[in-house]
Amino acid sequence: MGSVALRNIRKSYGAVEVLHGIDLDIADGEFTVLVGPSGCGKSTLLRSIAGLETISNGEIALDGAVINKLQPKERNIAMVFQNYALYPHMNVAKNMAFSLRLAKQPKDEIDRKVRDAAEILDLAPLLDRYPRQLSGGQRQRVAMGRAIVRDPEVFLFDEPLSNLDAKLRVQMRAEIKELHQRLKTTTIYVTHDQIEAMTMADKIVVMRGGHVEQIGSPLELYDRPASVFVAGFIGSPAMNFLPAAATGGTLVTKSSVSVGKAPAGVDEGRSVIAGFRPEDLRLADSGMPAKVVVVEPTGAETQLMLRMADGDIVFTTRDRISVGPGDTVHLQIEPGKLHCFDAETEAAIRQDAAGQ
Amino acid sequence: MTMQNDRLLAYFMILPVVAAVLAFVIGPTYNVGTLSLTKIVMGQERGFGTFSNFTALTSDPVFWLVMKNTAIWILGGTLMCVLVGLGVGTFLAIDSRMTTGLRALILLPWVLPDVVTAMAWKWMLHGQVGIIGQTLESTGLTEETISFLGDPKLVMWTLVVVLIWRKMPLVALILCAAIRSVPDDQIEAARMDGATAFERFRFVVIPNIAFSLTAVTVISMIWITAEFALPWIMTGGGPANASQIMATYIYQQSFEFFNWGVASAMSVINLVMLASIVGLYLYINRRSWASEGSK
Repeated sequence: MGSVALRNIRKSYGAVEVLHGIDLDIADGEFTVLVGPSGCGKSTLLRSIAGLETISNGEIALDGAVINKLQPKERNIAMVFQNYALYPHMNVAKNMAFSLRLAKQPKDEIDRKVRDAAEILDLAPLLDRYPRQLSGGQRQRVAMGRAIVRDPEVFLFDEPLSNLDAKLRVQMRAEIKELHQRLKTTTIYVTHDQIEAMTMADKIVVMRGGHVEQIGSPLELYDRPASVFVAGFIGSPAMNFLPAAATGGTLVTKSSVSVGKAPAGVDEGRSVIAGFRPEDLRLADSGMPAKVVVVEPTGAETQLMLRMADGDIVFTTRDRISVGPGDTVHLQIEPGKLHCFDAETEAAIRQDAAGQ
Repeated sequence: MTMQNDRLLAYFMILPVVAAVLAFVIGPTYNVGTLSLTKIVMGQERGFGTFSNFTALTSDPVFWLVMKNTAIWILGGTLMCVLVGLGVGTFLAIDSRMTTGLRALILLPWVLPDVVTAMAWKWMLHGQVGIIGQTLESTGLTEETISFLGDPKLVMWTLVVVLIWRKMPLVALILCAAIRSVPDDQIEAARMDGATAFERFRFVVIPNIAFSLTAVTVISMIWITAEFALPWIMTGGGPANASQIMATYIYQQSFEFFNWGVASAMSVINLVMLASIVGLYLYINRRSWASEGSK
């Protein structure tokens, strides 16, 4: 079992509070990703769970038992570090066996566990190598092996893929996900890359400035972002935003372009932010007029940067279109794909289910 | 043609260094080497190609006392210097306002001139008027003042203590810097792996600083072997050769007794010892983990 509960976690460095009361429940076996821009406190939160940082206030519970005050080694939690943190003077086998050796486990037991982990991670032929003789991906796997041999309640990953090149990152992403499906150990994974978060997570926790912005499954966050921040952070290319106001049941921008139906419950004249994803736009004969600035074909889809009177927007399409820079196009938003946020609080204004 | 000109120019450019090394390193070494194989009587050379200087040395009981004292001086001094330096360096590596100040302050013994250090300690350790002996007596820790430099049983170890006071700070600073450069995430990984503070030090910090540790050991050994002013000013090798070490003995034999041959023979022994230390260092570093695998 490895369920984690965080209650009102606060962390201050001197007078500066970096975590402002985090509440989070993670079920046993769940793959949770903490995601957010740098400085949002996600790594601090992870290190607090590991026990490498002490928290100023709140409670961390593992399977119901409060573990705040315990030393890292007493928590039965394993961590994979961003820079792998392998011991350079030990070979792969010794790196993986280190924790078991310290725990004074019998030698044949250690050997068996290291062999099993090496088997899982395809490291068996590399057991005698030293870290500096390994590639980045292999080092990453050794770091994971070191966590696996301990058979912990919880795995923590601190931006483990950020040092790998793009291609390897995609491959390791799949490997980590596969490993999790196989071991079913509760995993908490920190990243600043929303693609990693989307592809791997059962549950994403979007953080910003020491607060939790939104918790949900990847598609929940994508389809129903709770704020402008989450809407802009999740999804690539990012969601387009235009300032607008509710006028006669529709959202109208400053330059009097109607973007779509106002959600129910938005008062006449209220300032809002209209949001729509690049892939939810369609070319049409009428609709929002925009001038093409740049056309970027990538093969599978084409991305267009467009200039409207109210700001620049991005539009992606899988169709082969024949427009060039300088052309004026008209766009419409797919029905039900318009998001509406309060201009002041930047919180989502939810349409009721019937309105969708 | 130009290739050849370039090469000539290159040789010309390194000529001053080659000349300096020949004149000031190889030359004197060769001179001492030949002198050690030359029989000298009353300052007059009496035949080359003899080992009489060496046999004269080894048959002299003072030589063996000097060897024993030198062993205490070099091995004891180096070992203590590195061990104490490691301890102090580990302490200084801790981040706090106090250690930041201490890191600067600790260099004080190291920047003092040898002569000042030697005189200061000589008076502090003096048998009658030394403040250390008097303090020990007046606080009742000893029944009478101890003559640290006058007691043949104590004098060598007293010298070693002063030596450590003087040489340890730089060792501590070098090791402190090495310890501080150990990646934090390795220490944290070890904490996650369940290592206690001692285990982290033993299995993560020490292997990471192994390079600096061996280098600093060899450097201290060479410094200590070459250290002359400290023992010479403090004891002059006395009482009754009880603190006579190679450096002081060589000086005494050559410049007080003018036994050039014996002094040269001793110098050659000294050189062989130092060369084997450096050889050992190179051998250890060849086998260290940093070069492992690329055999």
